[in-house]
Amino acid sequence: MELYELSAKETAEGVKSKKFSAEDATRACLDRIDKFDAKVNALITLTAEDAIAKARAVDEKISKGEETGPLAGVPYLAKDNFCTSGVRTTCSSKILEAWVPTYNASAINYMNDSGAVLLGKTNLDEFAMGSSTENSIIGPTKNPRDMNRVPGGSSGGSAASVAAGYAPLALGTDTGGSVRQPAAFCGVQGMKPSYGQVSRYGIIAYASSLDQVSPLARTVEDIAVVMESLARPDSHDTTCDAYDRPKFTDAISLEDLKGKRIGVFEGFESSQMDAELYGSLRKAAELCEASGATVEPMDLPIAVKYGVATYYVTALADASSKLACYDGMRYGAHIDGKSLNEMYVNTRTASFGEEVRRRIILGTCLLTEGFYQNYYGPALKVRQKMVDEFDELFEKFDAYILPTSPSLPYLLGMKETDPNRLYLGDIFTVPISLGGLPGISLSMGLNGEGLPLSVQLVGQRYFDAELLGIAAVLERAIGRPAVANPGLPGTSNSGKGAA
Amino acid sequence: MARPIVIGLEVHLQLNTKTKLFCSCSTDYIGRTPNTNVCPICLAVPGTLPLLNDSAVALASRMGIGLRCKIQNYSTFGRKNYFYADLAKAYQITQYELPVATGGYLEIEVNGETKVVRLHHLHLEEDAGKLVHPTTDGRLTGAAYSLVDYNRGGVPLTEVVSEPDMSSPAEAKEYVSRLRQLARYLDVSDGEMESGSLRVDANISLSKPDGSLGTRVEIKNMNSFKSIERALEYEISRQNKVLDSGGRIVQETRLWDDAEGVTRSMRNKETASDYRYYPEMDLAPVVIDDSEIEDFRRRMPELPWEKRERFAAFGLTKEEISILTEQRELARYYEDVVSAGAPPARAANWVRMEVLRVLNELGIDITGFKVKPGALAELVKKVEAKELSNTLGKEILDVLAREDISLADAVKRSGASAGRLTGASLDEIIKKIVSANPDVVETIKNGEDKKGGKIKFLQGLVMKEARGQADPKEAAESLAKNLDL
Repeated sequence: MELYELSAKETAEGVKSKKFSAEDATRACLDRIDKFDAKVNALITLTAEDAIAKARAVDEKISKGEETGPLAGVPYLAKDNFCTSGVRTTCSSKILEAWVPTYNASAINYMNDSGAVLLGKTNLDEFAMGSSTENSIIGPTKNPRDMNRVPGGSSGGSAASVAAGYAPLALGTDTGGSVRQPAAFCGVQGMKPSYGQVSRYGIIAYASSLDQVSPLARTVEDIAVVMESLARPDSHDTTCDAYDRPKFTDAISLEDLKGKRIGVFEGFESSQMDAELYGSLRKAAELCEASGATVEPMDLPIAVKYGVATYYVTALADASSKLACYDGMRYGAHIDGKSLNEMYVNTRTASFGEEVRRRIILGTCLLTEGFYQNYYGPALKVRQKMVDEFDELFEKFDAYILPTSPSLPYLLGMKETDPNRLYLGDIFTVPISLGGLPGISLSMGLNGEGLPLSVQLVGQRYFDAELLGIAAVLERAIGRPAVANPGLPGTSNSGKGAA
Repeated sequence: MARPIVIGLEVHLQLNTKTKLFCSCSTDYIGRTPNTNVCPICLAVPGTLPLLNDSAVALASRMGIGLRCKIQNYSTFGRKNYFYADLAKAYQITQYELPVATGGYLEIEVNGETKVVRLHHLHLEEDAGKLVHPTTDGRLTGAAYSLVDYNRGGVPLTEVVSEPDMSSPAEAKEYVSRLRQLARYLDVSDGEMESGSLRVDANISLSKPDGSLGTRVEIKNMNSFKSIERALEYEISRQNKVLDSGGRIVQETRLWDDAEGVTRSMRNKETASDYRYYPEMDLAPVVIDDSEIEDFRRRMPELPWEKRERFAAFGLTKEEISILTEQRELARYYEDVVSAGAPPARAANWVRMEVLRVLNELGIDITGFKVKPGALAELVKKVEAKELSNTLGKEILDVLAREDISLADAVKRSGASAGRLTGASLDEIIKKIVSANPDVVETIKNGEDKKGGKIKFLQGLVMKEARGQADPKEAAESLAKNLDL
């Protein structure tokens, strides 16, 4: 096995036991980036020198017998909406193209403290608004498992990186599915924790009540390991829960699903989704049953009917106010005008992309007097109804299985001609975000054409560890995803997984 | 018939916290180099999140308790969205739907009549930065460019919103005075209008003949107590004129121009901002449980009206009470004088008449007054015991207030140190007066001082020479003896 194929846990163990150095592991990953990223286009900024320096520092600590963290020498990448001190953070937007933060996001600090090595910053849809990683200043990222297809989004750069073996771990942000859907499209594991599990400090906001730092990896175990570093109280974020988190790595030692009650979503017409993904759902249900769980069908009528509308009203309203600070005054792009107003208009018109402008304008309208009463107000109420619907179901079930996405990864450029697809694509992820629930997109292997299959596991709010336990049991039955070799024929299909 | 006046006030108070409402920058921004009292949070640097300052919540709650509001167990913040250069986030974080305190009232007294002004609520919000216009008069008009100073951005304010319960400019002014007094008693705010720690916006309307409310106009930019009264008086007469001539009042915001003595339209309903209020999802809700509220109550200092009641028990007049309790520090000074042994009524007179006179002459307030309460109490006691005349007592107070000198030394220097002038020393003065006024002495000895005016004149000269230290009775007897009467 090559170093770049190792999981985060295996890498840290190898580094700590001096089987190989952190620098070796880092260089192996940097080589992968060097080899493939000209084509995949997953990275906005590469921080190779800093990475080597950090890796050497980890190696030095180990040689001195000093304490290193649980992610000692583990290379990782972060979506380019995490603030990184001294490293430009663009959000894939012209408005922040040259902006260099003076501070680290809390999540970046936690990774650093755990010994992880940041290799660079990954591509995303501008301000995390999109599902294909095509709306970007550096152009689209390609899906390493099929270079003609999108990697999903908005954390497409992070998902593609993990799939292509740039690093065993990557950080993304999930607002309405922005980690789960690209994880599904790229055939890796991605988890959106419960809202409030991980500090949002230093994450460039899209929608405050929905954004959540979310890890991607090729194993469920790695997700658990990195969650132990990320999920903790943070005095910089009052919406981050103040209690001590359970030990996620203990939870994944769950042996089987005996006694677990699993709901399998059946509230849709099969024509609404891809048949193979429907098959994945059935397969996951069978595996649960085989592992001793009680499996029953369930439905989410309110979430399915109103989820997408409620999500867009909520997220866009929030985004319109969170993105108002980009006024050309203090940081980012500035284009002069004859008056204050003209400067605002010039700066924001020229420096925000079309999709971002569309969402800001929609969000602004939604909060305008009259519209608020008709849209935002009702959306808040519906959101509460959805939470109630979830709560009621959790009296019957420990977890649900839903699709992550109704479709397989689509071809690049397709959403331009079919914008509805973009919206419907979110139908199974946004209700989970609105409910603040934990959701894991779990790889179900590849189809005959080498395209990734997946399901989404959803747990009760704050039961992130339990959900990881269920995911770990299923992963053992399905097999963990393999690294893709983007653009090399035959190799990207090799990830059927060794069960 | 005069149209009834309806006034409601929104008063902003800068809270006495050390740091800003959502970050750890100082609130002491006045005089600082522009844009040095800032941090990533108050500059709205991407990725930063607000952190609520607990002491601002505690101060707002304390003010709420002082105003007999209901302190809410659960309150939330919202975003008031508008683009302006002084607002870094392009929204102000303020409490909108669920403020920290609701209801409550404040009693005011105008022309001897007590009136209750009900309150709608009290909420927390952050201040904006400041625009600096490089014109000679500091106004925007004519400025080629404007500069922004974010030093004040994020400073905590509490806004007290009254019901429209006031019916004259005098009531409005009195309401603001009482509110400021309370804020100062509670250490919630220094309440200085000049520095902007206290800002007042007024809503004013004139009722229709049938008693229904008229159209409301908002007045801003009243920067002193005097301007509150003047602006409202101007506005009443303006509205009356408009209505008298058959016009109608436009719902609008008007700015008070203190120099010109007029209000001017700033924006009307059509051009009013739609603030697109939105819940602030970056802040957890503010939860204050009952035990915390109880704790705030327990730690409440004495309130102005409680102090007034207590002072009434000293037997002071209404006017004295009102003057002595106006400022908490003055009231405390007075109480210290009394507890150091001065009779309450005499002490009240001394503090009110003499101490305030000296403070006024020196242009200082009581906190900078050199004369310790104990020293004043001693002085008052000496005058009471007639060891010092009233006049000399006042002179000694003047000396004590201006020089670093003890009471004993000041008394000594006044010539009254040996105690009262009596016996031989008094005799010496009398002899001097007698020999200096041979004509008057002659008149008296000739029995021509029928009405006793001349002898009184001599007695006065003796007392003056004795600097009031002689016992008038002894002086009179001794003078008579010297004149062989």
